[in-house]
Amino acid sequence: MRKWIHGFKIDADRCIGCLACMRTCPTQAVRVRDGRAGLLSELCIDCGSCLKVCPTGAIYATTRSLDEVSKFKFKVAVPSPVLFGQFPANVTPGHIVEGLKSMGFDAVWIFTAEIELANRAIREYVQSWKGKLPLITSSCPVIVRLVQVAYPGMVDQLIHLETPRELAGRELKRKYSEELGISKDEIAAIYVTSCQAKTISIIEPAEGVKSDLDGATGIADVYNGILASAQSRKETNDQKALTAKLLRSESLFEWDMSEGQHRNLHGYRYMSLTGLSNIIRVFDDIEKGKLRNIDFLECYACWGGCLNGNLTVDNLYISHAKLKRLMSELPKDDPELAAEVERRFEGKEFYAKAPILPRSVEGGMGGLKERIKRIMEAEAVLADLPGLDCGLCGAPDCTTQAKDIAAGDARKCDCVFLSEDRMNHLRRIYLKGKQDSNLNS
Amino acid sequence: MAEELFRKSFSILSCNFDKAGENTTEIKALLKSLDFNPDIIRRVVVVAFEAEMNVVMYANRGRMDFVITDEEIRIDITDEGPGIPDIKQAMQEGYSTATDEMREMGFGFGMGLPNIKKHSDFLEIKSDVGKGTTVMAGIRLVPDA
Ligand SMILES: Nc1ncnc2c1ncn2[C@@H]1O[C@H](COP(=O)(O)OP(=O)(O)O)[C@@H](O)[C@H]1O
Ligand code: SF4
Ligand code: SF4
Ligand SMILES: [Mg+2]
Repeated sequence: MRKWIHGFKIDADRCIGCLACMRTCPTQAVRVRDGRAGLLSELCIDCGSCLKVCPTGAIYATTRSLDEVSKFKFKVAVPSPVLFGQFPANVTPGHIVEGLKSMGFDAVWIFTAEIELANRAIREYVQSWKGKLPLITSSCPVIVRLVQVAYPGMVDQLIHLETPRELAGRELKRKYSEELGISKDEIAAIYVTSCQAKTISIIEPAEGVKSDLDGATGIADVYNGILASAQSRKETNDQKALTAKLLRSESLFEWDMSEGQHRNLHGYRYMSLTGLSNIIRVFDDIEKGKLRNIDFLECYACWGGCLNGNLTVDNLYISHAKLKRLMSELPKDDPELAAEVERRFEGKEFYAKAPILPRSVEGGMGGLKERIKRIMEAEAVLADLPGLDCGLCGAPDCTTQAKDIAAGDARKCDCVFLSEDRMNHLRRIYLKGKQDSNLNS
Repeated sequence: MAEELFRKSFSILSCNFDKAGENTTEIKALLKSLDFNPDIIRRVVVVAFEAEMNVVMYANRGRMDFVITDEEIRIDITDEGPGIPDIKQAMQEGYSTATDEMREMGFGFGMGLPNIKKHSDFLEIKSDVGKGTTVMAGIRLVPDA
């Protein structure tokens, strides 16, 4: 089975085998076989939950360093709207743009126009859709991967449109290559991201195509640089006008936010969901045909939306309040922007490059009879296991362990209830030198 | 004769809205680990869920058999309950005898049986008023080319 690229690594030396990551993973992608966590790559949806719960930092994010893009002639930062809500009030959008430039970017592309373009495309898509409902947003890469791995029957319901960040990458290359007379390949579009997952969506898009962005850097990675640059700058009084010029419209802050599509999909039966566990519950209902009368589901894996992504700096609620304040300073509608969106909408360049297909995962080997034999074996094994889901065998629950055994990836004697040896083995791993004195007390 | 490859039985408790649909969830997991085509899984899941819910809502108790043969995937449900006096009427879209309480919980829109019909390749309903109902629905498997 092929290996998928993920945005983190597990450092075996720092892993203490505490089982926290295995227990939290929503897709059962982690095993802790010999006191060390290991990943089943094809099941991982890059949600980052395991990173968050690891108590020793053994699971660590692998962001690409900006040095790798130095080979490009012209580097453009494409900041997530979330970036603008991360700083103290005296650090204005103008300062943020200057800060990014001070860190080596030649230009900064704020994608309000692409958001409005995507919004219009979404409206048209929802209106003309004849297939299964509800339609589901495809901006959060974790949600796209969750559907591919765990809800393969729903892949058609993911809206088949490019995200604004991808549209931005394409447009800025077109514009700068014309303006500067250089080839598109010499321009790097670097997304300033709220999370690991979006980095992965650039390196390995879910549709199996090439992204129009060339890499990503975390908000947390540029934060200090921007702050330092802003503090060295004198206060100027035209910041308000500059804010409006840079950000263009409040619709910038309606993307990647909880209830962001509220205004755009007015009149449709619309539901906004954040937090992976809530989303999984609703997806289970959709799969059974239980959730009816909803046209559109907006889903963000992070509780509260991208403001709460794992590479953000400020607290969700504080940054939310800051964005609301910024929004109040921005125009609702800008004629120039509207004209641009109108013109670009006619070009219809907003469809995704390829369909999103289910990710082939477990049990795919052999013909139907062979596969059935394997699940019958798993059922039989499961009947012999205690059903406590203690995790000491190295699988997150007894059902998963039974499947692993039937597939030949684990053994029945990995269960501490069935094997004294396994218990002794774990004692050696987890109690280290302490066991002798403990056993005698 | 079709060769039966797999069978699993589940019991269904009436009025247990809390746990309603759990058998269907298990069936879905089984189909997924068998790597069936997502569209087939989706159809079986809708059929199983609606049929299971009808027992939860209207009958006293029931049993669901999930069967795979080399030709089809089938859901057989037998219940002890009031039965369906007019099956043709029950099959109509929107027809429902669900209580207001059930509707508040999001069930009882009269789309269950029509949905089973729509998502299955064959459906057979037999009912004895006062005794119970059997529903047999399934999806034909096209043999691997
Ligand atoms: N197993 C059953 N036992 C008794 N009555 C049933 C059973 N299944 C369906 N019915 C009757 O058929 C009607 C239509 O069923 P269905 O199409 O599933 O819609 P709903 O469950 O929303 O009412 C039900 O309201 C009920 O009166
Ligand atoms: S990132 Fe999420 S899906 Fe991947 S292993 Fe960690 S918890 Fe599981
Ligand atoms: S909700 Fe946003 S920040 Fe969180 S994983 Fe999804 S895209 Fe990333
Ligand atoms: Mg029903």
